[in-house]
Amino acid sequence: MSDTLVNLRDIRFVLYEMLDVEALTKYDYFADYSKDTFDTVLEAAYKLAREVCWPSYAEMDRVGATFDAKTGETSVPKCMHRIWQAYKEGGWGGETAPAEVGGQQLPACVAAATSLMFNAANTAANMYVAGAGGAAGLILSFGSDTLKKVYVEKLYAGEWGGTMCLTEPQAGSSLSDVKSTAVKAKDGDHYLLTGTKCFISSGDHDLTENIVHPVLARIPGAPAGVKGISLFIVPKYRVGDDGAVGELNDVVTAGIEHKLGIRGNATATLNFGDRGECRGWLLGEPNRGLAYMFQLMNHARIGTGLQATSLASNAYQHALQYTRERAQSRKISEKDPASPQVPIIKHSDVRRMLLTQKATTEGLFALLAYAASLGDKELCSPDEAERLAATDMLDVLTPVCKAYGSEASYDSIVQAIQCYGGYGFSEEFPLAQMLRDCKVFPIYEGTNGIQALDLLGRKVVMKNGAAFKAVLDEISKTVAEASRVESLKDMAVKVAAASDAVGDVTAHLAGIAMGGDIELYMSAATPYLRMFSRLVISWLFLWQSTLAQKALEACAGDENYYKGKLGTARFYLNNELPHLHATVQILKNGERTALDFDEAWF
Amino acid sequence: MKILVTVKRVPDPESSIKVNPEGTGIVESGLKWVVNPFDEIAIEEALRIKEAQGDVEVVVVSVGVSESQEQLRTGLAMGADRAILVKADRPDTAAVAKILVKLVEKEQPTLVILGKQAIDDDSNEVGQMLAHLLGWPQATFISKLTFAGDKASVECIREVDGGMETIAFALPAIITADLRLNEPRYASLPGIMKARKKPMEEIDAASLGVDLTPRVRIKKMAPPPARTAGRKVESVDELINALQTEAKVM
Ligand SMILES: Cc1cc2nc3c(=O)[nH]c(=O)nc-3n(C[C@H](O)[C@H](O)[C@H](O)COP(=O)(O)OP(=O)(O)OC[C@H]3O[C@@H](n4cnc5c(N)ncnc54)[C@H](O)[C@@H]3O)c2cc1C
Repeated sequence: MSDTLVNLRDIRFVLYEMLDVEALTKYDYFADYSKDTFDTVLEAAYKLAREVCWPSYAEMDRVGATFDAKTGETSVPKCMHRIWQAYKEGGWGGETAPAEVGGQQLPACVAAATSLMFNAANTAANMYVAGAGGAAGLILSFGSDTLKKVYVEKLYAGEWGGTMCLTEPQAGSSLSDVKSTAVKAKDGDHYLLTGTKCFISSGDHDLTENIVHPVLARIPGAPAGVKGISLFIVPKYRVGDDGAVGELNDVVTAGIEHKLGIRGNATATLNFGDRGECRGWLLGEPNRGLAYMFQLMNHARIGTGLQATSLASNAYQHALQYTRERAQSRKISEKDPASPQVPIIKHSDVRRMLLTQKATTEGLFALLAYAASLGDKELCSPDEAERLAATDMLDVLTPVCKAYGSEASYDSIVQAIQCYGGYGFSEEFPLAQMLRDCKVFPIYEGTNGIQALDLLGRKVVMKNGAAFKAVLDEISKTVAEASRVESLKDMAVKVAAASDAVGDVTAHLAGIAMGGDIELYMSAATPYLRMFSRLVISWLFLWQSTLAQKALEACAGDENYYKGKLGTARFYLNNELPHLHATVQILKNGERTALDFDEAWF
Repeated sequence: MKILVTVKRVPDPESSIKVNPEGTGIVESGLKWVVNPFDEIAIEEALRIKEAQGDVEVVVVSVGVSESQEQLRTGLAMGADRAILVKADRPDTAAVAKILVKLVEKEQPTLVILGKQAIDDDSNEVGQMLAHLLGWPQATFISKLTFAGDKASVECIREVDGGMETIAFALPAIITADLRLNEPRYASLPGIMKARKKPMEEIDAASLGVDLTPRVRIKKMAPPPARTAGRKVESVDELINALQTEAKVM
């Protein structure tokens, strides 16, 4: 079994060589950091991930979270308590939070690296931490001073847990159909909530003395649809203004899901206000709830991409070690049946599978860390134009991070299992669990289908296409840079051609939309997202190749790493990028079979 | 009271170690480096003494390449108060012990805690040599440390072949930590941020006036022979025969 979890060298390349994280320390907000401290943080996270979180990976699945119908209590596996304690003692819950609320103000791109480690080691466990941090972030951004004072520090410190409660039985993808209600109380500053939320991650557990639920609900008389949804803070136990935890707040766990994966994380159905006594406090303005929630959701979508990529990274590290050790068959040229069998990494088909995984995990981590670094720029660049540009880029790339991140990672783990042969199918090895765990990522935080609609229906067209064009402009810059490097010219040409083709087909689709066939336009969403993702990953690989080539020319050492990077980039551009052109063709052909296919014909 | 704790930079025990083609050492590029695990236990013990007794300064010391700063920083992040790096190019155990003598003379600690051995070359010598050079009492391989009421002496349980040995002796003294002494804490994020402001002194070994000439020369390094595949035998007799004539273990 491999204990490597992730490629640490690649993480350092992305942070220090590609994104120049050190440069962030010139901003006041990050001035307390230096490269040395980043190194120590990465070191500490990796150690914790490997020594505390990873050894419990199987137990989280085997034991799983449990619900006792008699007592109504939800429990996490025993190992989870130790992990929680370690996270808490280490201050990891407040990693990126501002110092004034007890956080550590770590740049988000460095936190992307620690998140990769923690999730690779035990993603279901890490979700409890992410839940608390997400709720804290919402209150910090939009809450009243009292709410901030009562909740924020406790959540970041891991004293209390947190969730996000959007989904209802009739409102999954369709959040406009949320029907939980919140009625202003006559005797106080709170509202009384009623309704049922389902599929709530970390929705109930025995890790903390309280759990804080941000809940989407409607105030009677609010407009129909998304414009009538408000956001409330609903604690499991009521809390006094002094922070003291009091009586139950009429939030009742009806049960937890029995799931394909991430079984250690309790996915709860919660009933609010069965007795009419569930108090919630409005966050920000009425009817703006969904917009607030999207701040968290956008963040969580990148987090979902990271969760998926982390599992794929760990699976790849396992496959790499396994294929070096497993001897089977001989080279095609070896005719002597008595000669020893060779490690399967020597077979080209196995190398193809390994390279697919290497390209997927490295390409996705580059994307996710880059997205996180845009968040850092948004937060602290003194230049307003730069901040706005970062926001635009991030808006366009978020659905790519979430959807392509989760989909390509799942496929990558399939390849890792294939490398193991029959042993990969056996639960004896951790890969089967990784595959099961990874399946949720294309589903939650908005299904990948919804992400595709978001990309084509909103992000591509927002600001008259300016945000989308900003991405293509960045790509051109990298192409220009790479064209100046002799050995990368052919790769630059490929990326430029892909970018042009995507620009072209986007204009073509816009024509369809403008012509009024919006159904046809939107039916292109999923293939479009996949196509655009391939362009984005190819661009990032071209960027990385330029750096790797320069490092090789400068004889900076680490030759194997840089040559491996160039080879991986080339592999992706030669084998994955060409699919983009097939999609372009399909979309240009006006493919509409699925649209026109009569339901009766199924 | 002051406690000096030694910290050695060693390859991550999980990394796969390769001998270089010249057979003179291991391939170091691409390796991940960590604090020697026994030294982590030593740091933890010093921190627990500090937490129990209050007025204690914990100083972590490393002898080696400048990159050993990373490991010292981990020690500071765990909670040590300051760090000293003595820069020296591949000193052998005797040279390290002599360098440490100089630091002990300068720092005047009450206790020096070392890991019982470093997991890179497993020499298990520095603590003993240091005690000898200083003429101090030593307790090696300890799994428990208790201070006497007047704090002038300690009682230690040592892990020895076939059992435990309890010894008591006066301070100052040298102690080397075994695996069961404690479970070291993890560096916390606030700890890491605090560590930034803690002093780290750098000293050139050459300036200490000790003879660094290696007494040990590595003539050749080779990986252990690869394990050959097992074989099934038909009967007990055949097994005994194979153990006697082939494996020659009976
Ligand atoms: C393990 C787990 C944890 C979760 N955690 C949380 C949580 O913490 N908080 C929370 O609020 N929710 C959570 N969810 C819920 C999750 O976000 C929803 O399951 C998801 O948004 C999809 O909703 P649904 O299940 O109702 O599926 P549906 O909306 O019924 O979707 C079914 C299928 O139809 C497609 N579809 C739906 N509408 C459209 C459309 N307009 N166009 C094209 N295709 C469409 C979808 O893409 C999908 O393929 C979790 C779910 C799971 C499984």
